[in-house]
Formats: sequence, C-alpha cells, structure tokens
Amino acid sequence: MTHTLHRIGSYNDLTEDYVFLMMPSKGINVEGSGEKLRTFLEMALRHNPVIIGDARKGNAYHQGGIDNLLANIEDQAVVQAVFDNKETVVTLLKELKEADLGMSVVVSGIATEVHEACRQAGLERHTVEHSLGRWGRTDKLPPRQILEITNMCGHSMVPAQLVYNMLADIRTGRRTAENAAGELAKPCMCGIFNTKRAARLLAALAEAF
Amino acid sequence: MQVKEELCVGCGRCVLYCPVQAISLSADRKLAVIDQDECVECGACLRSPACKTGALYQPELTWPRAVRSLLSDPLTIAPESGISGRGTEEMKTNDVTARFKRGYAGVAVEVGRPLLGARLRDVEKVAQAIARFGVEFEKINPTTSLMADPKTGKFKDDLLDEKVLSAIIEFAVPIEKLPDVLYTLERVSHEIDTIFTVDVCSRCNPDGSIPHEELLARGNWWYSINVKTNVGLGRPLAAE
Repeated sequence: MTHTLHRIGSYNDLTEDYVFLMMPSKGINVEGSGEKLRTFLEMALRHNPVIIGDARKGNAYHQGGIDNLLANIEDQAVVQAVFDNKETVVTLLKELKEADLGMSVVVSGIATEVHEACRQAGLERHTVEHSLGRWGRTDKLPPRQILEITNMCGHSMVPAQLVYNMLADIRTGRRTAENAAGELAKPCMCGIFNTKRAARLLAALAEAF
Repeated sequence: MQVKEELCVGCGRCVLYCPVQAISLSADRKLAVIDQDECVECGACLRSPACKTGALYQPELTWPRAVRSLLSDPLTIAPESGISGRGTEEMKTNDVTARFKRGYAGVAVEVGRPLLGARLRDVEKVAQAIARFGVEFEKINPTTSLMADPKTGKFKDDLLDEKVLSAIIEFAVPIEKLPDVLYTLERVSHEIDTIFTVDVCSRCNPDGSIPHEELLARGNWWYSINVKTNVGLGRPLAAE
C-alpha cells in the first residue's frame, strides 16, 4: 500500500511531481488487462514522462530498456508513469476518460492540484488517501532533505548512503546532478523515482553543503 | 544474500546499495561482509550495478527466513494478493471493489518504512494494539498471513525475530472510530524500536469532499499536502 503516497517536499517542489498508476483488480477485470496497461503506457509516452515503470517486472533499467518493459507487461501488472507538470496530468486524464480502458487509475500529487486536474478533465474523485507521516523512532532517520529524495522510491530501495555518495560525486565533479539522479533511480523497481526532481534537489544540496 | 569470498575484491560498492546498511567491509577491507541478522533479503544489492565480479549470490531461502524476501523484495509476488510488493490493491481499485465503503476509513500502518526496516516483534505490537478495536485485518495482505491469530494480531512465534524492510497492517474502521485508532497508534509508536508511516483513505462524499479529512483537521492531526486520488475510471464500477 501507498508506495507513491509518502513523497515529501515543499509545495512548489511537489507541483512538479505527479505519479499515474494503473492496475486491474483481482477477480474482476484482470483478464486481458496486460494489453490495456500497455496502451496506457504508450499513451503516457506520448506526453514526455519523466519515467515509466512496471512494478511486476521491474523498471526499464532492470528490464534492459523501455521496449522490453512494454513487451513484458502481463495481466495483473501495476504500471506507472511520472510527470512534472499539471497540464499534462489534465491532458492525460482527458485521454484516459475518452479511451475508457476500464482499469483503475490513481494519481498521486498535491491534493488541490490533482483535484483541480480532475475537475478540468471532467472527472470526480472517487477515493482519496492521505499520508499522516512518519511515527516512532524518527530520530533514527536521515535528515529531511535526504528523505525528500529517498522517499521517491516507495519501497525504500534507495539508500541514504547512496544519496550521500552521489552528493560527494557531484561536489567533486565526478558526476552531474542528472547522472546522479539516474543512478539513484536504478534500485527503484517500480520506476516511480522522479529523476528530474531528484536532479534539482541534488544540485541544490550539493551547492549548500 | 551471501558473498562468494573467492570472487569478492573488496571494492565496497555494494555497501552503498543496501537499504538497511547490512553490508560492510571486513576489518582488513578485503571483503564485503553481510550481517545476516540485519539483511532483509530485498535483493537490492544483487540487482544493483555494484558488483562487477559476481560475488553476490542469493541462496534459496527457507522458512522462517523466507518471509524477509516476501516483505522486502518489491519484485516478490505475494500469493495472497497476486501482485508484487508488500501491499494490496487497497484504495487503488476501490472504484471496482468498494473495499472501503462510505462510512468507513481505510487505514494502513507500514512498519519499518522508510529505510529502517522492522522486526516482526515490533509489527506484532502495533497489530495487537489495533486488534483491540475488533477490526478485521485485510485477508489478502501478506502481513496478515503471518499472524497466528488475526483476531488478536498475534504473530507466529518463529517469525518474531525476523527483520523485513516493511510490513503493512491494513484494515478498515467505522470512520467515527478513526480518532481513537490514531491515539492508539500514537501510544504504540513510543513502544517500538523502529518507525511506521500511517495513511488513511475514504470514499469521497457526493459533493467531492473527503470524509476523513474533516476528522483529521478537527483533531489537529498532521497530514500531508500530497494525496493518492482514485479518479474512478475502473470498470465495472462497484455497486454501493
């Protein structure tokens, strides 16, 4: 549950981070769903997504490229696409409404922005989920600036020490922020790690420390 | 995960890719060493570009250690849910399942996330605290399958020391009980040695408002500006 929910950051920063998720439901509309999920990702690819992924088979890096990812989609997969602007969210929602693929669609992002996007696309929100944050031994966690990056992988596969290592590489000129963001995206098997946002955050952090 | 010592060159790159920092270099810095008690069998190091010599390998896991992979490796498909990852369809398909009906709040408590991981002993503490509300834990969630008694939240004894990247306790409650559930979670958060994330969902009202949001605001509970929104495109729509 919730692998796209717990992204944290400033309002302005999060206005450039939206995750679309599409999936069928076991026992209801799984049969033949693979083709519909593939159609969705093909639609998403026409709108210049930051990244796409398939939680069942792994991200594009793991599968050896986007063509393989598309070819390997199975019934009952869970597929995702990440975008960096609300205008595309509205456009894609309109296209999905028109395409009527019959698969459930979830959009993660700032509540007010996604609500407005739904209105513009002529859709009514069905169910909404909020994060109530992190409870318990928060003293054991890395600083918030690091969590803003690691939390973009909802399965906690992006380690804090890898982020620190990438920051060191950026500071010493061994990598660009974009290259570092690409490296951090590799462990995120669902393919929801927003590399554009990560590069922005990494560049700012590398300059600040 | 294990290291073939004859192949390891001690480069240390795999250390960077372990989400729970279970890999270190030996004192003479010649070998990677994996703390087997801390390793959650997520497979991140093996899939990563870190090891150039093929020194990492995944031995077959047997019970009870196999639960580590089930709740840590995002590519492991849980037999209960039929999907990859540690969770379920939850609100993501609520438009076609009506799993969370009007008047109810869906709650998920993901113990160990982010980054710390959790012993199932701590997951049990949270589950037992919640079970007192008489909730039914989601049957197709793999975490529920690890309970000896889902009515009490008691886990199987041989699992309690196992460490996983995270385990999700998932249930629905009548929405008026939500504040009491949150107070209980706040109390038990001081009794565990790890972290958990909490999320709450509900079916929107006919006017588009969110039933649980009013309760959270009234109780002064912190909640994120970020949400997940099921936009209602699934078919056939569930009868309500």
